Amino acid sequence: MSSQNSTNKKKGTRRVRRKTEETRGLSITSLLDVLTIILVFLIKNVSMEAVKISELPDMHYPTTITDEKLLDNPEVVPVKLYQDRVLFGIDNLSMGTPDDIISDANKRDAMRQYFEREMANIPADKKDKACLVVQADAFLRCIYLTEIIRVATYANFPNIYFATIEDPDWLSDFRPASPQ
Amino acid sequence: MAIYRPSEARQQKGQTAPEEPNLVPIMNLFVTIIPFLMLMIVLSQVAMIAMNFESSGETGGAGDGTGGGGSEELIEIRLYASEHATGLFPGFEIRDVDRSVTKIPKVGDVYDFASLQQMLVQLKDKYPNKSEIAVVVYPDVMYDTLIRTIDLSKQNGFVTVKYMNPKQMYYY
Repeated sequence: MSSQNSTNKKKGTRRVRRKTEETRGLSITSLLDVLTIILVFLIKNVSMEAVKISELPDMHYPTTITDEKLLDNPEVVPVKLYQDRVLFGIDNLSMGTPDDIISDANKRDAMRQYFEREMANIPADKKDKACLVVQADAFLRCIYLTEIIRVATYANFPNIYFATIEDPDWLSDFRPASPQ
Repeated sequence: MAIYRPSEARQQKGQTAPEEPNLVPIMNLFVTIIPFLMLMIVLSQVAMIAMNFESSGETGGAGDGTGGGGSEELIEIRLYASEHATGLFPGFEIRDVDRSVTKIPKVGDVYDFASLQQMLVQLKDKYPNKSEIAVVVYPDVMYDTLIRTIDLSKQNGFVTVKYMNPKQMYYY
């Protein structure tokens, strides 16, 4: 009797193990497909140029039909002219306000020294590739541009570029009137 | 009852479903490359207008606006804003090499770029071999107006644009 009881007890405590299903590996094939497409898109659009002149978000650019390419392997010195500030170089060295470069002789001198220093830093065999890239607000007066160009040409910058936004249709907004 | 040779039977027993290739190393590579490329991508690139300022003085330079001082007579486009002295007007003034002057005044507050375009087409027809033009800009003219003028000049075959300032004269 006691042996029968012990047998029943054993029966009650017996655990039935379920047959566990093998976990299937996560299929990453579809993810890989997506990544391949993105990779192709990115490789097509990536710019390997040493200097990127990209659109500044807080600047209003003039629009042009013309889009000329920078020289091959240029030595670029960017100048940014906002309505309220002038920034020189990749490090955004502040030169005060646009009015300062007209009215303040010290600022003009600092500007000249900056351009001359930049030109001096360019190797002799690449001096003809020196490019001043002016990114200026469309609603600035030309007097500021003229001053910067005057100082840059004084420092022997051979190439000056103006950054714009390409718009092949800007002229279609204008209707001709008869010339006098 | 089929009778297999011992070797065949062993082969049949060993056959399993083909394994998927291990894509994890490729995924690692992609996940590394993609952020790197995304850092380098330039989605909105600006256009450029080039001006040459060679020391020879043949192509460009911030000159004094006297016009035609060099070996070759230049067509001049003068840009005036509204605040200039008596006798000037807001708009374009085109000075041909034969000294004839065409005035294109502003229409309302807007420069008449369409008429300038027509004028430049006529000038190119008249002087097909000319590739230089001078743009004389008064200080109060907006940068946008200057750039559009240079743009139209280049579009009409005047690829070399001289940037000039007007000669300032003071009377006491």
